[in-house]
Amino acid sequence: MKQRSIQLLISTGILLLVLTWVHLFVLQQANGANSSMIFWEFQVPRVLSALLAGAGLALSGLLMQNLFQNPMAGPYVLGVNSGASLFIAILVLGAAPTFLNEFSYVSAAMIGAFLAASFMFVVSKRVQNIQSLLVIGLMFASFTGAIEAVLQSFAAPEQVKQLFIWNMGSLQQMSAAQAPWMATLVIFGIATTLFLVKGLNAMVLGDAHALQLGVKVKQLKIVILFVTALLAGSITAYCGPIAFVGLAIPNLARALLKTQDHLLLILFSVLAGSFFLVAIDVLILLLDPWLSLPVNVLTAVIGAPYVAYLMLRQR
Amino acid sequence: MISIQQAQVGYQTALIDISQLALPAGQIYALIGRNGSGKSTLLQSLIGQLPLRAGSISVGAFSLEELQKNAALRATQVSFVASMFTGVEALTLRAYVSLGRVPHLGAFGRLQATDLQFVDKVLQALNLSDLAQKDTRKLSDGERQLASLARAIVQDTPLMVLDEPASFLDYFNRELLLDQLQQWVQQKSERTAIFSSHDIDLCLQKGIPMLVLHHQKLTLLAKPTKQEVMALL
Repeated sequence: MKQRSIQLLISTGILLLVLTWVHLFVLQQANGANSSMIFWEFQVPRVLSALLAGAGLALSGLLMQNLFQNPMAGPYVLGVNSGASLFIAILVLGAAPTFLNEFSYVSAAMIGAFLAASFMFVVSKRVQNIQSLLVIGLMFASFTGAIEAVLQSFAAPEQVKQLFIWNMGSLQQMSAAQAPWMATLVIFGIATTLFLVKGLNAMVLGDAHALQLGVKVKQLKIVILFVTALLAGSITAYCGPIAFVGLAIPNLARALLKTQDHLLLILFSVLAGSFFLVAIDVLILLLDPWLSLPVNVLTAVIGAPYVAYLMLRQR
Repeated sequence: MISIQQAQVGYQTALIDISQLALPAGQIYALIGRNGSGKSTLLQSLIGQLPLRAGSISVGAFSLEELQKNAALRATQVSFVASMFTGVEALTLRAYVSLGRVPHLGAFGRLQATDLQFVDKVLQALNLSDLAQKDTRKLSDGERQLASLARAIVQDTPLMVLDEPASFLDYFNRELLLDQLQQWVQQKSERTAIFSSHDIDLCLQKGIPMLVLHHQKLTLLAKPTKQEVMALL
């Protein structure tokens, strides 16, 4: 049982290494015009952004599913990305250009993500079932979308274009200078989560059980909300809203590992999330001569049917 | 040893008044009372989940107040078997029972070989070994109740509180449950178990001391007879 899980982790890790190598040294090099400058300024950040966004989004999905005690939770479906988007839109359209820097972008996204996650968490206490919560998440997303649209009607065309591109989700927006920042945030999020394993395991049975087992449930939930906002917010700031990774990967982890041991689930989600987004970007690179697709189109093509399958299997 | 002083149990209004009661360790006690008499409420107070309206209860060396403030400490002193738990995806029975070890584990929640040996020993004693790898969602209600008992046993606390732990069990498993509880309290001198039950006849037959909840009072019958119990209820 345990051995099988470890084999699965190792093989996913090896596959991830191979795929990352193919992405960076085969496909990206095939586009011609190679120089050390292009390699470090564009190609490395692109693969890093896939690795980090995949790992972080999958992990934030796992955390949200634990927090909401609901396997269909995730940063995208529950509007956490939307909260980050809205705050970035407010910043881009509302703030003076001098305020538009690295720090303000990421902070705005994290604050938006945290507020959205907290809001949905409070709401989840009042609704009884998964379906209602998902509908509320959807409403929340379309509400923030509407506010963004209103804001955009006041904005200059360049600003609107900038936001539009960002909203498509992309692994090519992160610059080489930003890469260390994103890496630090995501790695910090993963490291923090590793210290929560015991509490996360006990939370599987619900709040009352976890409390009986000595878990400080309230504190744990606040830490989960913070880490989720940190991961989903920073990734949304650097890559735009990317759908389905956060919802689909942790479900895949439980289905394959057949465990609720969160140490294994965390490690697998991180590896498989990275693998998934690198694989998506490999597809984008392969299809590039004929058509250029945004990340979200491909994650949806693969992710949406899988999530629908999960929904059907639930009942 | 559980001792109760002038305790008032209830939510907005007092449901139960207990002036003074001492329950020596090394025993199991059956909590008997009619529907709606407040058995579950009393149990919630005993595990420190529902604060007392007045008075005090001590569990071994600790007061209930201390335990309420410190969840980690409480988890090493009091275990609780709820009347029901729902199964969880990808959680096997063995993994569920192992969660009882959580209060004794380090920060990363790793189970040591000794923890797993303990879990397997308890599973065997409760005839659950064959179901160890079964998904908790696929267990029957009775199997789940036995699993809850196993989880509380591996938690290894001085006090175990059980809320109608036998409601889904068949005749044989009811006997098994009581025998296991008897054995459990005798293994270590500081142990006490309190369980609520409607199975008066079986408890009488086994000679289990009874805590009878009646007219907002709690009366201990160390050697109960049916007439005594019925007269109180």
